Amino acid sequence: MNRMKKVNSLGVAGVAGVAALVLPFIGSDYTVSFSIQLLIFLVLAYSWNWIGGYAGYTHFGQVGFFGIGAYVGSLLNFHLGVPWYFAAIIAGLAGALTAIPLGGAMLRLKGPFFAIGMFGLTRVLEAFALGFDSVTGGGTGIYLKPVSDLRPVYYVVAAVAGVMLFLTWKLDNSRLGLKLLAIREDEDAAESLGIPTTRLKIGTFVASAIAPAAMGSLYAVYLGFIDPPTAFAPNIELTTIAMVLLGGMGTVLGPLCGAVVLSVVNELLWANYPQIYLASVGVIILLAVLFMPRGIVSLGMKTGWVTVSRPLFRRLAARHGEALS
Amino acid sequence: MSDTIVAVEKVSKRFAGRIALDSVDIDVTRGSITGVIGPNGSGKSTLFNIIAGTLRPDTGRVLVDGRNITSASAAEICGLGVARTFQISRLFAEMTVLENLVAVARGRDDRAAIALAMELLEFLEIADIADRWGAELSYGQRKLVEIARALMLQPKVMLLDEPFAGVNPRLQNRIVEHLRTLCAKGITVFFIDHEMRIVLNECDLVYVLAEGRLIAHGDTATVRNDARVLQAYF
Amino acid sequence: MPVADLLIGGILLGGVYALMACGLNLIFGVMRVINFADGDILAIAALSTVSIAVGFKLPFWVAILVVPLGCAVFGVLIHLLILRRIEGAPMIMSLLATYALSTILVNVAILIWGGGYSGLPGVLSGSLRVLGVNVSISRLVSFACAIGVSLAVWWLLEFTRFGRAVRSVSRAPELASISGIAIERIRLMTFALGTAMAGFAGVLVAPAFAVDPQLGSRFIVKAFAVIIVGGMGSYPGAIAAALLLGVIEVVGSYLAGAVIGSAFLFLLMLAVLLVRPRGLLGAGMRV
Repeated sequence: MNRMKKVNSLGVAGVAGVAALVLPFIGSDYTVSFSIQLLIFLVLAYSWNWIGGYAGYTHFGQVGFFGIGAYVGSLLNFHLGVPWYFAAIIAGLAGALTAIPLGGAMLRLKGPFFAIGMFGLTRVLEAFALGFDSVTGGGTGIYLKPVSDLRPVYYVVAAVAGVMLFLTWKLDNSRLGLKLLAIREDEDAAESLGIPTTRLKIGTFVASAIAPAAMGSLYAVYLGFIDPPTAFAPNIELTTIAMVLLGGMGTVLGPLCGAVVLSVVNELLWANYPQIYLASVGVIILLAVLFMPRGIVSLGMKTGWVTVSRPLFRRLAARHGEALS
Repeated sequence: MSDTIVAVEKVSKRFAGRIALDSVDIDVTRGSITGVIGPNGSGKSTLFNIIAGTLRPDTGRVLVDGRNITSASAAEICGLGVARTFQISRLFAEMTVLENLVAVARGRDDRAAIALAMELLEFLEIADIADRWGAELSYGQRKLVEIARALMLQPKVMLLDEPFAGVNPRLQNRIVEHLRTLCAKGITVFFIDHEMRIVLNECDLVYVLAEGRLIAHGDTATVRNDARVLQAYF
Repeated sequence: MPVADLLIGGILLGGVYALMACGLNLIFGVMRVINFADGDILAIAALSTVSIAVGFKLPFWVAILVVPLGCAVFGVLIHLLILRRIEGAPMIMSLLATYALSTILVNVAILIWGGGYSGLPGVLSGSLRVLGVNVSISRLVSFACAIGVSLAVWWLLEFTRFGRAVRSVSRAPELASISGIAIERIRLMTFALGTAMAGFAGVLVAPAFAVDPQLGSRFIVKAFAVIIVGGMGSYPGAIAAALLLGVIEVVGSYLAGAVIGSAFLFLLMLAVLLVRPRGLLGAGMRV
């Protein structure tokens, strides 16, 4: 096999890490601001990839956890003066705590009904945020004390994104990852082969709710403001899913590729032409479903530039083979 | 009394009023190769799905190692050492053969799981396809990988759902040999099929189902000469 | 609490949900596709109705004829261009496809009609007294038509040759194709019928509710709750659940305000999921 042509993932990670560290010092405020948005979406995409890409559950409710986190963090910060980084941690925990009972109920539904149930529940959460205006400020929203320097926020978000990437790489090379893929491929067969599907699904659902909730809280800090349509924005859900699908569902690098491409589209269109932006994301999803359901990364695998998924198992199997012969 | 590992007691099942199984009793002796034959629609698959826990009987009960598993889930039954294959192959298509096996392994040790998987693939003489995707295998290869995947659970009982159907005679013989070896290692093999040649030559004990009823059982010689079986089949 | 008012208001609202839920059920049963764009087709149908009656000053019955037909044609196009091409693919693909389609339709609708509300004054205006309650004629008519069409479709499925074919395709596609049913044609016709139902619902909604491009997403969320509560694939379940949820929404809005009131539906949905996963009447398919 031609090893020279392969992208050396460790090298790429190193270069990206260094670039991420120095960016705030050499980039403009605009660059930092753009990067924060990109990284927040990257974290959302990696979280969605766990439940949607690996376990195969179409999750149309992730932005619900994003919104819960945004409100928990903002309220703590606004009323109690909890510092934003600490508020983000609590927001993440709140996301997990909400996800446990919700997952227990909603994951009784298989694939498509889980999708419509979560889709509806997210709208309900938005309605609650609007309706309980004595707590949330309703439609007026909450204005936070602006952060003077966005760089610390940038570093926190970048660190979380790095952790998500690492965890996904670990998952991709673990038996847990294979078990999730088995649920995606054929849940009933997986169940009757002794894979504890219910436990794994709920676990994945909860795990994939934590980071989005924390990101919601940080997003509020980044904007200095939160209201129900921002916190539970359907376009965040749409963009996240489009990123994972376009990049490659159930892969390590897919969300990264998708996030970079769509963040640029977002930056070009969202501010001035929101309708055109949303419609084009819809078109991108449609085209990906029709013509490239495995995403950009699969093209890379075909050309041999990117390592095929789950290299660890291949390597171990090869080593085992060598030991025998 | 012989040592029974799987006991089906007076199991009945109806689908929308139609009788699929009518008070069926089956004893599978530990370490035996036991087969159930019957024409299509005789209730074989229903019986199998009830034992594996994907269907519940209307009446009657199923015991594994003396434990009542009638209302246990498929995963729990699996945990008692009962592993199954599927009639229509249900390999995980977007995973390699090796990954298909490793995914269902028990225990925490990845390396041990991979070693066991490779060992099983070698035992079934398909180690060369370990890296192929589930979706690109031939029909016969699928059947073998299904068996290997069930063996990953290190079961006490193997439930094989039509392992010989549609398989060429050479591969059929190979599978029989493998099953014999497994049997010698103490694994009980219980299968359903309508491949008369194999069932009537290789099984220790044969049950014959027709229209949801057990019409005969016994060793191969008994069944071969049973008037009702001859009437149902020939 | 004005019980009669709320009951009648809720039941009338439930009629439209019932029509939508039956359309979604029909499409899901045959194609294993959940049509997220159903609500947006409804919204575009309602906006088109307003345009036909107010913009082009044509009589209302023109819309009743033209709009559902247009939606059926649109449904045929969606099926041929998108859904048919991903038939064998995993379920997640069709979910994402119709979800994307829904986004496209909403935003195109906003580009065409703008984001504001419009209505259809003067069509079916006035009110009747029913059980001592003033009921607007437009709502009464839309309820009657919606329930009428829902029952008609149910009858179509239960008692006609087309219905038999549809049912056998939903239950066992392999078997249906062996017994000589042209599956592709059934699927195409079903999808067209489903979108036509959404279009008809849109026409009915136009005189009775304020109409805007986001109308669809508000309605479909409730239709989804109806499907889950009623038990997937069960028509009587859907109609019963739709009426029940309509009442709960209206009562909830009366007690807690419009915004939170609609959330009551989902609390009921969660409760139903925990207690009766196969739906209120227990007739839904296990999924």
